[in-house]
Amino acid sequence: MTVIGWLQIALFVLIIGLLTRPFGGYLVRVYAGERTVLRPLLGPLEAALYRAAGIEPKTEQSWLGYSVAFLIFHAIGTIALYALLRLQSSLPLNPQHLSEVSPDLALNSAVSFVTNTSWQSYAGETTLSYASQMAGITVQSFLSAASGMAVAIAFIRGFARTRSATIGNFWVDVTRGTLYVLLPVCVVAALFLMTQGVPQTFAPSAEVATLENGLQIIARGPVATQEAIKLLSGDGGGFFNANSAHPFENPTPLANLAEMVLIFVLGAALTNCFGRMVGSERQGWILLGVMAILFGLGVAGIYALEARGNPAVSALQVDAVANAQRPGGNMEGKEVRFGIAGSALFADVATASSDGAVNAMHDSFMPLSGGILLANMMVDEVIVGAPGSGLFGMLLFCVVAVLMAGLMIGRTPEYVGKKIGSSEIKMTILALMSVPAATLGLTAFACVVERGLAGLGNAGPHGYSEILYAYTSAAATNGSAFAGLSTNSAFYNLTLALGMFMGRFLVIIPVLAVAGSLAAQPIIPRSSGTLPTDRALFLGFLLGVIVIVGGLTYLPALALGPIVENLQMWAGALH
Amino acid sequence: MFDLIILALVVGCFALAIAYAHLCDDLLARPADEDVAP
Repeated sequence: MTVIGWLQIALFVLIIGLLTRPFGGYLVRVYAGERTVLRPLLGPLEAALYRAAGIEPKTEQSWLGYSVAFLIFHAIGTIALYALLRLQSSLPLNPQHLSEVSPDLALNSAVSFVTNTSWQSYAGETTLSYASQMAGITVQSFLSAASGMAVAIAFIRGFARTRSATIGNFWVDVTRGTLYVLLPVCVVAALFLMTQGVPQTFAPSAEVATLENGLQIIARGPVATQEAIKLLSGDGGGFFNANSAHPFENPTPLANLAEMVLIFVLGAALTNCFGRMVGSERQGWILLGVMAILFGLGVAGIYALEARGNPAVSALQVDAVANAQRPGGNMEGKEVRFGIAGSALFADVATASSDGAVNAMHDSFMPLSGGILLANMMVDEVIVGAPGSGLFGMLLFCVVAVLMAGLMIGRTPEYVGKKIGSSEIKMTILALMSVPAATLGLTAFACVVERGLAGLGNAGPHGYSEILYAYTSAAATNGSAFAGLSTNSAFYNLTLALGMFMGRFLVIIPVLAVAGSLAAQPIIPRSSGTLPTDRALFLGFLLGVIVIVGGLTYLPALALGPIVENLQMWAGALH
Repeated sequence: MFDLIILALVVGCFALAIAYAHLCDDLLARPADEDVAP
């Protein structure tokens, strides 16, 4: 480990810390329909969209109406994206004359981007036309992020409102999130990435002669615009197969830092947005504090493990210590321009955040580093998470935490002035169990059927980790790949699509149900018997609940993969 | 043919999700003896 490596990590944390409050305040104003700096410019467009769609922005929906609107919106999105991928060979903006996408892959990709997962069983540059990338993938990146934020805002309204039968209007929330939050930030981010060398062109792939008189095809396209929303949305689906390890997606260390900031900024800001909307910013800082501790532990662990390197390599007299001439440690699968710190930080950011972008190959990380990446996703990606999903995941754990605390001290559980009754607990458990059910159930299934084992690139615990990672990534709507597993088969395309569907929709429906139930309640005034949830004590308690629930659910699965592999590595066996 | 099967699959899954939302709505109905507010 180096001082400059730690400084990179500290700089990233500092930037996120500085951006959280201003962005949080901006989000509150946007979703309340208040005046913002962009309203004079985009307000007429917003009003025109409502008129065109026949939406009355002042009319709100019950939680059930909100949920049905959310589901219909994404059903249409899935079908539209599927149709686009199947018809791309007949559509314009296909300079490479790419053929249509196969049915199972098209379904997997459509579900993947509609659910904000961005799992990719394909290589973008050789599979998708520019029309599919722009009108399909990019559009769904915007809309899935906007709908995730809308759900989080609706959930916050459940806590903030008193005796309300409604939790907002889904169509209005999605429109405002897209117009006032995602679009403006993406315009700035895309322009910045272009200054760093990210291409933005409709020209076909370049064909160049190499020094050996061979022909090399260099893929390019409208990358910068997709890159910006890929990161900001928590989506993570790259224009190129190598994702953010590709020099056209992530050319410089400065671009790398900006990409990580884009991944985290909205998720972190939503904690402040929550605090402001429930009337106490401290509540938001407590949530961010829990996220920061979990994130800090993860990045420190990965950085330390990767900097130490592989003992089997060290045994061959290879010096793994970093100095001015070499990065040291485990550089397999990492880009030299990012080094170990830049790769470890990006990997932790991408798995904690639900983004799923990668700038290094996770398959090549040390076994326990892979275990940390898995753990980040397994705890429902509450460590900032994707825009929206991280916050509502964390709030679900808050409900469990106040229930546990209430049982210990003999009080009815309350959180930010709302009583947590049996109805809310039922819904919370349904939401929290959906992801493990999909992850562990589908992993077990793939491990015992021939079609599942056929995709493995490695044997032993590492191969098992590849399968576990794939389904964890899908059900947690992360989308990053461990690599080493060939998933472009009918079996994996369909089962991963099922995992993504369960991980997104079976979580969000109960979340909205909790929102509706809480919104209908009165806000209880704070009393001497109220458990203070804006103090360090609750921060520690919440942290413990997340670790214990996550550990009880997933430790056996992790023991069979990364933990066994680590023990075998120290015994000299590599996979 | 495959496209029609997949279309039916997508519509069926989302219809099930909507049914699940209605089921959650039923589950939300509080028991009569539950303490609702202080």
